[in-house]
Amino acid sequence: MVFILGVNFPERNLLKKSLQTFFGVGNDTSSRLLARFNIHPTCRVGELANKQVLDLTAVLSDMKIENDLRREVLNDIKRLKETGTYRGRRHALGLPVRGQRTRTQIKTPVRLNRMERRL
Amino acid sequence: MFPTRALLGRSVWKGPNIVPLALPRTLPPPPNTPPIRTQKRAATILPNFVGLRFAVHNGKTYQDITITEEMVGRKLGEYVATRKRFTYKQSKNK
Repeated sequence: MVFILGVNFPERNLLKKSLQTFFGVGNDTSSRLLARFNIHPTCRVGELANKQVLDLTAVLSDMKIENDLRREVLNDIKRLKETGTYRGRRHALGLPVRGQRTRTQIKTPVRLNRMERRL
Repeated sequence: MFPTRALLGRSVWKGPNIVPLALPRTLPPPPNTPPIRTQKRAATILPNFVGLRFAVHNGKTYQDITITEEMVGRKLGEYVATRKRFTYKQSKNK
């Protein structure tokens, strides 16, 4: 088990996929992180040197991920709603925000779009 | 209707959509000035609009909005809804 940013990862997991479990780190960011510290894309968590783990943790703790990012997104939605924009209203109604048709197929926005958006 | 024209990415070389509006001569305008009537929903809200009242056309009537600091850079039409929520009306004769 290896701790990266306070989260325990099993040693046989792929490092790239493990990094992507953080909210706000996707395919692109995790590849960039690996490239930055000269880690092979197929590297497992257990193969990391201690210094590399510390480096990754240091960089990740500087980035805006997890709860900080969630809070930022929710605040953006809240601001849209409070200023009375069309987009804010669509969020509150649980309808598509970017001009999609609503005659059919709006299951995703109905599920996700609301004031306290599910993230 | 466009939800927001700000999302569509206007070319930088055009600059913001500056529409000649009948802005008051004196700032801040004296109280009881009527709001600025306009149908130009795509007009960009400029920093010197802050605090002014606009009556923006929604396709049928003019609705009042007061411009605040957060609205700068957006469009006038974003703050005035053009659609009415659907409500079922009971018909008298079948």
